[in-house]
Amino acid sequence: MQKAIEIKSFTYTYPDGTPALSNIALSVEHGQSLALIGPNGAGKSTLLLAMAGFIKGTGEVLIDGLQINKKNLKKIRSLLGSCLENPDDQLFMPTLFEDVAFGPLNMGLEPKQVKICVANALQTVGLSEMADKAPHHLSAGQKRAAAIATILSMAPKIITLDEPDGSLDPRSRNNLIGLLAGLPQTLIIATSNVNFAAAIADRAVLLDNGRVIADGDAKTVMSDSELMAEHGLEVPVRLKGGDRRGFGN
Amino acid sequence: MHHAYIDKFAYQDSPVHRLDSRVKFIVVLIFTAVVISLPRTSPSVLACYAVGPFTILVLGKIPLRFVFKHILMVSPFVLVLALSCPLYDRTPVSVAFGPFLWKSSLGWMRCFVILAKFIVTMLALIGLVSTTRFNDLLTGLQRLGLPRLLIIQLGFLYRYIFVLIDRAHHILRARAGRKLRNLGTKAELKIAAAMLGSLLICSLGTAERINIAMQARGFDKNWRSLSKLQIGRSDLIFSLIAASFLLVLHFLVRPLLQ
Repeated sequence: MQKAIEIKSFTYTYPDGTPALSNIALSVEHGQSLALIGPNGAGKSTLLLAMAGFIKGTGEVLIDGLQINKKNLKKIRSLLGSCLENPDDQLFMPTLFEDVAFGPLNMGLEPKQVKICVANALQTVGLSEMADKAPHHLSAGQKRAAAIATILSMAPKIITLDEPDGSLDPRSRNNLIGLLAGLPQTLIIATSNVNFAAAIADRAVLLDNGRVIADGDAKTVMSDSELMAEHGLEVPVRLKGGDRRGFGN
Repeated sequence: MHHAYIDKFAYQDSPVHRLDSRVKFIVVLIFTAVVISLPRTSPSVLACYAVGPFTILVLGKIPLRFVFKHILMVSPFVLVLALSCPLYDRTPVSVAFGPFLWKSSLGWMRCFVILAKFIVTMLALIGLVSTTRFNDLLTGLQRLGLPRLLIIQLGFLYRYIFVLIDRAHHILRARAGRKLRNLGTKAELKIAAAMLGSLLICSLGTAERINIAMQARGFDKNWRSLSKLQIGRSDLIFSLIAASFLLVLHFLVRPLLQ
């Protein structure tokens, strides 16, 4: 079986010459839930953009065995759904229904099928009642869930999420964790919130200065207090001995 | 942040809300053209024309306070234009309103007519946007043959104007928090220019990210949508009533009142 994502010696430099990603090697199995953790500017979002084929560097990026190139791009984008950091960028249509229908329509599905996909996606994220609402009428938590619905409606095998917990209150964050934990897809979550990452991921990859610093079992990587402190992070609350009250911020 | 949405009543339900957006748009377009092209007419005639949009607003359960608040918000430009008329045209003229007759100047007449036409057409326009979801309006306009690119632009404008307003508020708040004294006109203008520049850069960044979001969901420059519009019997009845209203005013009421 093909790997969900396979990245070999990928290097990317920003147009101004700043190195963004250096010699990245990463292999993700189907069904895995992987957290890309690291401080600000580590290269997490850039790596997600590389996975979706939005930036071209040297090296190789394979999505479900398909190499990212012009010929495969359409197929790759139906296999890998990207959820951007700011839901306001993700939700650009006048109503939620149309936003969720945008992807399936571009995939060439029949209107009847599109409506089923939209209904299912909205039901999964608990926004069925909001279908006719304009995105600016939604709360921050609802916008985040809606942004995920826009991806789910395309039934991708892999979902990438960039800082999905940003600006969410604890209740919305818990709802999001519940939602993501219930998804069968391969999840790649870029976040600097280690508590959020620890609540979802079974594997963690620590990035810093565009390099993979550590890769392994989420608990093992994130409970290494020395490693975490060295890269501007902290051990998640739930992995600290004795204190298991929650995950806070 | 919560905004005073121009279409906040468009999500209600009423017989007017259920009408097809194309029919409402065409009726409002014709009505506006007719009112604008009215000659320098008596106030009574314009008052008769206002009955149409008033009826729509009442049937659509749109609060008149909301309507007049929005008319006031967009009135400054027209007010300047209208109030300048009495300054350059002082030709005496007799004005009749029913049994009353008084003397005024042609400039004041023009001023009144401009304001009255503005209010009547705004009533119709607010009636349209307050009883039609913007999305349905866009779909209707697309079905009427407006260029797709324009429809997409309007859709984005509607979607992102609120995001932009939010950002502008944040920038203004950040400025207010650190503005401890008046820096003088020149310095204030410089700050305002920097703020506008910041907004522009924000908009460009947003546009870039939206493009990524669209491409990530398979956008290939062909806009696809699920249109639900259908003209029914109530739309035909509404069209007939609107046409009769305009014809009666034009052929029966205007000759009587002018």
